[in-house]
Amino acid sequence: MKRTTLWVALGLASSFGTAQAVEVKYMLWDANQLPAYQQCATDFQAKNPDITIKITQAGWNDYWTAITTGFVSGTAPDVFTNHLAKYPEFAKNEQLVDLAPMIARDKLDAGAYEAGLYEVWGRDGKQYGLPKDWDTIAFIVNMDMAKQAGVSLDDLNNMDWNPKDGGSFEKVVRKLSVDEAGNNATSDKFDKSKVKTFGFQTPGGGGMMGQTEWSYFAVSDGWKFHDKVWDNNYYYDDPKLVETISYLAGLPDKGISAPYEQTKSLGPDAMFVGGKVAMIPQGSWMISYFKDNAKFPTAWVPLPKGPSGKRATMFNGLADSIWVGSKVQDQAWQWVKYLGSADCQSVVAAKGVVFPAIKGMADKAMATQKAAGVDSSAFITMSKEQTFLAPIGDNGSQVDDIIKTAFESIYIGKADAAATLKDANANAKVNELGK
Amino acid sequence: MSESSRWLAALWRPFSQTRRAETFTAYALILPALIGFSLFYALPTIRALELSFTDWNMMRPPKFIGFDNYVKLWHDGRFWNGMKLSLYYVLLNIPLQTAIGLFLAVAMDRLTRSIFVRSVVLLPYLLSNVLVALIWLWMLDPLLGVVNHLITSLGLDRQAFLGSPNQALATVAGINIWRHMGLVAMLFLAGLQNIPRNLYEAAMVEGATEWQMFRHITLPLLRPVMVFVLVTSVTGSFQIFDTIAVTTAGGPQDSTNVIVYYIITNAFSFNKMGYASAMSMVLAAVMVLYTLIQMRVMRASDSDLA
Amino acid sequence: MLQSFSLFRLVCWIILALILAVTLAPFWIVIKTALMHSADVFTHSTDLWPNDATVVNFKRVLGLMSTEESIKAGGSGAKVNFSLAMFNSFVFTGLIVIIQTASAAASAYAFARLRFPGRNVIFGLFVASMMIPGVVTFIPNFILIRDLGWLNSMLGMIAPFCLMQGFSVFFLRQFFISLPKELEEAAYLEGASYFYIFWKIAIPLSITPLITIATLIGINMWNEFLWPFLVAKDESHQVLTVALQSFKSQTPQGQPDWTGLMAAISISILPTIGLLLLFGRNVVESVQFSGGK
Repeated sequence: MKRTTLWVALGLASSFGTAQAVEVKYMLWDANQLPAYQQCATDFQAKNPDITIKITQAGWNDYWTAITTGFVSGTAPDVFTNHLAKYPEFAKNEQLVDLAPMIARDKLDAGAYEAGLYEVWGRDGKQYGLPKDWDTIAFIVNMDMAKQAGVSLDDLNNMDWNPKDGGSFEKVVRKLSVDEAGNNATSDKFDKSKVKTFGFQTPGGGGMMGQTEWSYFAVSDGWKFHDKVWDNNYYYDDPKLVETISYLAGLPDKGISAPYEQTKSLGPDAMFVGGKVAMIPQGSWMISYFKDNAKFPTAWVPLPKGPSGKRATMFNGLADSIWVGSKVQDQAWQWVKYLGSADCQSVVAAKGVVFPAIKGMADKAMATQKAAGVDSSAFITMSKEQTFLAPIGDNGSQVDDIIKTAFESIYIGKADAAATLKDANANAKVNELGK
Repeated sequence: MSESSRWLAALWRPFSQTRRAETFTAYALILPALIGFSLFYALPTIRALELSFTDWNMMRPPKFIGFDNYVKLWHDGRFWNGMKLSLYYVLLNIPLQTAIGLFLAVAMDRLTRSIFVRSVVLLPYLLSNVLVALIWLWMLDPLLGVVNHLITSLGLDRQAFLGSPNQALATVAGINIWRHMGLVAMLFLAGLQNIPRNLYEAAMVEGATEWQMFRHITLPLLRPVMVFVLVTSVTGSFQIFDTIAVTTAGGPQDSTNVIVYYIITNAFSFNKMGYASAMSMVLAAVMVLYTLIQMRVMRASDSDLA
Repeated sequence: MLQSFSLFRLVCWIILALILAVTLAPFWIVIKTALMHSADVFTHSTDLWPNDATVVNFKRVLGLMSTEESIKAGGSGAKVNFSLAMFNSFVFTGLIVIIQTASAAASAYAFARLRFPGRNVIFGLFVASMMIPGVVTFIPNFILIRDLGWLNSMLGMIAPFCLMQGFSVFFLRQFFISLPKELEEAAYLEGASYFYIFWKIAIPLSITPLITIATLIGINMWNEFLWPFLVAKDESHQVLTVALQSFKSQTPQGQPDWTGLMAAISISILPTIGLLLLFGRNVVESVQFSGGK
């Protein structure tokens, strides 16, 4: 008797529930992008009054702990921003909803996205995320320093690089490196021990992707991560990577970069903003950070051409995924679909924070940035050069840890690059097998 | 209040003469603690042992793999590196911390009982590890930190501290010494205040120097406090985690990847719960062994005094 | 001899002054940095006095500015919900202090004074629990709390700490053993029950050690980080240490927003300073008392 009344009550409650709005929890890590997606959520709710979107944001490290512990504890968000380095593990453990059937049902056009962005989120016919944005890498230059050093924008736009003598890239960097007496690093009088501003600063190790750190140097030298995505045979021990890393690790010895052990905690971004370094590499997602924080004229310039004769950049993109544990998967899919649609992406483009994934939207974002006084065309230029994808494989976080430690040994410990990378590459594979 | 306790007393009285009442009361009194112990110590320890024989990433059901995890850790260089670093860390941390605490206590014993001075000395210990680590991360920044500013203005070379593989672990030890020296000093001070003053007066009459008095009166009489300080600080120190999580995250170059940090990374970053459990079991075995040896030694020293 | 004595005092003064300076200097650096404009960090980070002091960092961590304004001022736009985090910290610490002290006192008394089967075994197990490194029970406890459905709840945060901790039981048992038995025996002969003796005689005689152990538990729990960090992710349950760490990791590329962070730290220190100002003597003496039984 009691039980029936309970069921009736529950039935009533659930029928009320459908009349009320269903809550979809969404999570992202970049605080810069929060306002844009908040706007998308507001628009989405206006069109779908039966769904409310609750957005949570957490910093990068906390974010991934929250996602993985959320899988276990049942508290993960219904929809979350996913990253190429992380999703293979989630997919393998069946934590992500396969979007392919819904994409087919709703006849979404994968061709609407910039080339490659859709494909990297799939494996064996399954689709684990719907693309939302893309990014490339470029250098940002302190133009006051460039002017003083007699380096023109033209020089900066046309640099080339090689691992032997550094090419015109190193010449520019030497001119930009100035000691306390005012000599630059092209002069014999340059005092390496009393450098006032460094010419160039790489962010150091960078883990298995080396997205902003070294991947573009190595690939423009003819290197690749592996033969194809999901291939666990990496080439971290390849001579091309060895010579690239040896070159980069040698920059501080020439006095044109600060020693890595001193810059690790501060990082190149802060050094650049603080006027300690004239040029650094960074991704397009950081455009607005420098616009807000650099109190001097800056310019984004394309990366140097390598010995391959081409400029190279990682072409990376984020996507939104749905967690299998979500109890509101239909509504979650509506939201994901909206995030990947032109409606939301044009809002994102209008905020000018990132380049949206849908073809043609990047121009809109660029126009917004231009209006705000930033010329971001270098990133578009880079996207039309040789682009490559992030390495995708199983056990990403562990491989990442191994490679990161190896790079630290080379950068800080002055370990032999060839031997260190040989070991690291072997360990990365052993881990795959030992799983 | 008193009425209700009188009522309680009346309630208990009929049983109070019997042994059964004593047993019953005792179990009633230890029940909450016993539940806490069973649920959150005993059960999890058994569960951890069980997990250590599985391959489990939290997302799928655990798979039994026998002793594989133990075989793997035997060959895992980073596990042994972690053990070695934790041991090394204890050696960097404890002797200096204890010595500074002791001298600070002696100094305070002689000069002041001021509650203000004692509060200031204790203040760092009242702040969390996370907070203290953040403060020092900022002060020790190689380029912007005030410490390097002092060093370079003395004409010395800039130091990387937490950024250098050779200095990072020692720097973490330094940060924790800063947090704990006041605590250690307070414990010693309590011990010092229990030493009868007339011992010193008698020694002075016989012409003993300060050092002789310290060596022959203070130190031996502080022995129980010393044992307490060492027991508690060594086990805590061997399990250092928070400060490293905030400042170096195990780097650079694994130079601060101490055992607990390595275990937590395996558990919550690599999602290797089974392997992490196996490593924690080995760590537990080491700690138990250490404690047993220590109890032996302490018992021996007790009988020494008697 | 008199000379060596005063020389010794001089050395003592120097040690004490040095340590007080080393202890206090960082607090000044924290406050000074909190009062700086974030753009000045690179040029004036080592000044001993903030030039052009500003409270903008306090405003932005307290959420008194809009996200856009805050990003313009050099932050990540992140803020800390201090009143909520402090409230959570107080509740978390307070509940554990009260429950654990009560539970420890009760069991410690039983171990010290009452005879019952299994006493030595159970006490031995309690003491042995002190040897088990926290990291061992950490993972299974997390799973247990999940299975109980207590994640993101105060119950889940306090559960593993509040009922039992080896040291508290051990410490109080030592005290009860050292207590003179005469009063209790007299009460016993007059027919008082064991519980009455515990509650009406032993407890009133133990106020000092109870305050000591409560203070120690309080200090430890106020500073606890990893457990609440994993169990209570939700902002509504974040304690102060967790809120601070997530504020630190908010900044793009993980570069700390130093001025904001120092402002956040300055605010987080306030309760501790307040505690010392109000109960300095109790706190200090509790800590001292914990080592010398």
